[in-house]
Amino acid sequence: MADRLQVFPSRLEGMDRSAPVWVMAALALALLILLPLGWLAYVSVSSEGSLTLAHYRKVFMDPRLQKALWNTVILAFWVGLASLAIGVPMAWLSARTNLPGKRLIRGLMMASFVTPPFLGAFAWVMLAGPNAGFLNKLYRNLTGAEEPLVNIFSMSGLIFVVAIYTFPYVFIMIANTLDLIASDLEEAASILGAGRLQVALTITIPMVAPAILSGFILAVLQALALFGSPAILALPAGFHTITTQIWALFHYPPKTEMAAAFSIPLLLATALLLLLQKKLLGRRGYASVGGKGGQRREIPLGFWRYPALLGCLAVMACSIFLPYGILAKAALSRAWAQPMTWENFTLANFWFTFFEYSSTRLAIVNTLELGIMTACVGAGLVALLAYITNRKIIPGHQILGFLALAPVVIPGVVLAVGLFIAYTRPPLLLYGTLGILFVAYLTKEMPVGYSQSDATFRGIHPELEEAGRILGAGRLRVLREITAPLALSGIIATWCFIFIGVIRELSASIILFTPNTKVMSVVIFDLKEEGQFGAIAVLGLFMLAVTFAIVVLMQSLLGRDFLGAKE
Amino acid sequence: MPGVTIKGLTKRYGDVAAVEGLDLQVKPGELVSLLGPSGCGKTTTLRLVAGFLKPEAGEIWVGDRCLSSPITVVPPERRRMAMIFQSYALWPHMTVAGNIAYGLRFKKELSKADREKRVKEILRIVQLELSESRYPGELSGGQQQRVAVARALVVEPEILLLDEPLSNLDANLREEMRFEIRRLHEAFGITTLYVTHDQAEAMVISDRIAVLRGGRAVQMGTAEDLFQRPRSRFVAEFIGKTNLVDGIATEPGVVTRGGVRLRVASADLTVGAPVALSIRPHMIELVADHQIGTVSARGDNLLRGTVQRASYLGDAVDCQIQVEGSDVILRVVAPPGLRFRQGETVSLAVAPSACIPLVESAV
Repeated sequence: MADRLQVFPSRLEGMDRSAPVWVMAALALALLILLPLGWLAYVSVSSEGSLTLAHYRKVFMDPRLQKALWNTVILAFWVGLASLAIGVPMAWLSARTNLPGKRLIRGLMMASFVTPPFLGAFAWVMLAGPNAGFLNKLYRNLTGAEEPLVNIFSMSGLIFVVAIYTFPYVFIMIANTLDLIASDLEEAASILGAGRLQVALTITIPMVAPAILSGFILAVLQALALFGSPAILALPAGFHTITTQIWALFHYPPKTEMAAAFSIPLLLATALLLLLQKKLLGRRGYASVGGKGGQRREIPLGFWRYPALLGCLAVMACSIFLPYGILAKAALSRAWAQPMTWENFTLANFWFTFFEYSSTRLAIVNTLELGIMTACVGAGLVALLAYITNRKIIPGHQILGFLALAPVVIPGVVLAVGLFIAYTRPPLLLYGTLGILFVAYLTKEMPVGYSQSDATFRGIHPELEEAGRILGAGRLRVLREITAPLALSGIIATWCFIFIGVIRELSASIILFTPNTKVMSVVIFDLKEEGQFGAIAVLGLFMLAVTFAIVVLMQSLLGRDFLGAKE
Repeated sequence: MPGVTIKGLTKRYGDVAAVEGLDLQVKPGELVSLLGPSGCGKTTTLRLVAGFLKPEAGEIWVGDRCLSSPITVVPPERRRMAMIFQSYALWPHMTVAGNIAYGLRFKKELSKADREKRVKEILRIVQLELSESRYPGELSGGQQQRVAVARALVVEPEILLLDEPLSNLDANLREEMRFEIRRLHEAFGITTLYVTHDQAEAMVISDRIAVLRGGRAVQMGTAEDLFQRPRSRFVAEFIGKTNLVDGIATEPGVVTRGGVRLRVASADLTVGAPVALSIRPHMIELVADHQIGTVSARGDNLLRGTVQRASYLGDAVDCQIQVEGSDVILRVVAPPGLRFRQGETVSLAVAPSACIPLVESAV
């Protein structure tokens, strides 16, 4: 009898207890992803209740939209190439050679990785604007020329600025792949008679080729989805990209159906590219074979050691030193374009930004509030999802994992259009509240958070939990006393990832904000219209300071390099 | 001290049956090994016994409690078992003492002092007194293993389960730990199920061994039973090395293959039926010409053959001999003093009692 009583509760443990979890998680994912995308697709093909392809026809016939499409293709392609041109050599130098200051380079790479691209674009406006730009003024003073040296408000300027913040993706991909290729694979070729160049051509390069190609795709994807830099640099130059065009379609009167119809091709393009990249990486099994145990010898650069370092630093100067320098200068001076003298020095920008200008204070509060909320809810949700998928707790767990990763194909602007359509109507009227931004951020950060959480739980051997069970602890107790403590640092790191992602978000926010729900990135964008460069710089530096504080916290928690590279 | 009874246990993953109709009995206080190659269902069986998996059919009983059936599965925490995992599964965020004391938290009848006393006691038994407050990450593989053992033993489980606990140790330590585990079993006398793919390990540690194949127990017995009287080719080849000779029972007590005629000790052979013989390499004697008389007088089978290959191994010579007048090739382990040349003709003696007919000749 006693045994029967013991047996009984276990029957409830099976399906019944996990069913609500399953339903809730599925519902949450549906609300975040399926609903907006469903509405997006529906609105793009409907006109007053009937189905039509008219919007698509309009979109593809409109010469202005065609031009935007074409501009995006050019931008994405060249950014991809430029990122390879910068990222591949730097990755090889830092992974394979005796380049001095590798740690410094990796550190700077990380800084460039977390710098919001739109902030970089602002900085480059101050550096290379045709009239007042710092570099152009310097050039004119030195040469006496009338014409500016460079004009950042151009397609090539845009490509340059996007590339210097996109190449870290390529760098990480290649450096991590090179780290996996043991030197003995190359030595095996040498001993068979291949010269150094032949080894590179026949062994090393073919092995990293899939990573190079997928790095290219990753860079292209970044460029496709980017809103901030094109908005800052392309609009003054008089041209649009898809993202800025979608945004423009939202200007009064909003042409939602056109925006939707314009979003779908972008969504399909990103989805296709990602699929292609997955295929490439999936076949790449051989690149990681025999990886971990292998020794890696450093290739001596000889005379080229310091020139190579100088080259790397020059690249980092473009993405870090010069932009950060000009931001600091702008933050501390009355007139950013004037030389830095005592008369020009001021702290007024800080005072103005934090205490006088009403929308900055509200935006900072909103941003931090959203950052904390999204990070808490998001980290909790992805931890739950990752736990369910890793421990295969419920049937259909693979679908949950797939859905959690799915938003990675949705560009921020497209997501925003979908959310706008979905939540400006009953039953969920979220537009105009922080809620819709929260939903947007949660969706956008889900893939990154989920991957991070997934790695965390994959690192916790199921036997650790089973050992607790067999010794007498129930499932919940094991979760509390064994799983949670072991996963804690990973979950906090996930929290940080999400938080950093949220506070720099611009492309979805720019469509979803209302006067009361502005966030920092949107205010920076607004301030540009008012020409308040000092305040932009202060806000930007504040954003960077918060980001770096979080990064440092995260690195100490993970006990490893932010970029996933081994020391 | 209860025993374990497994009846018709079946576990499927999709269409593949990992365990299929397994029957097994472990007597109280007995240590039984589940031995088999990877994929034979031994670990699945252990996890079914632990309650981590639910069977599709069959039952698992401990004493008079039915713990698993397709309808109900008593959760692991209520089974009064302990388990030692392949990965040891030591919790890295707890000290050695913390790990060991964990299971005692659920023994409400023990006072705090009792618990501490038990932890101290078990630490002494596994010789880890000095490592009490260290973390698992700071211990060597062998020490971690002992912590895992201590953590399982300290709760005084009714049933102890071990899942290839020695497979992560290096060869020397592994041999040492075999005896250690046997010693602890004799000291504590807990009914134990031990999973391994290493036949030598199973032979050292177990009271009885169940050889698993394709989710079923193909033979169960003591190490000696299995080695001396294998019922099938699979067991004969899996436990130790052997020569398998396929022949036909031509008359009572005689098996013939081609020109080779072997007398066997076993009487129950059906004349005319095919039968496979297992002959252990070390049971075959190489005899010099002057000894032949003595050997035949003993009633041994006498064969002649050609040395195909002979390898000097230090403590023995391992040779392969083609038997004259047949396609039979026998492997023979001879004393190291004997030296052969390739192609040399030699005489072999095999006692009838060394020719074991397999009951299930087909498998």
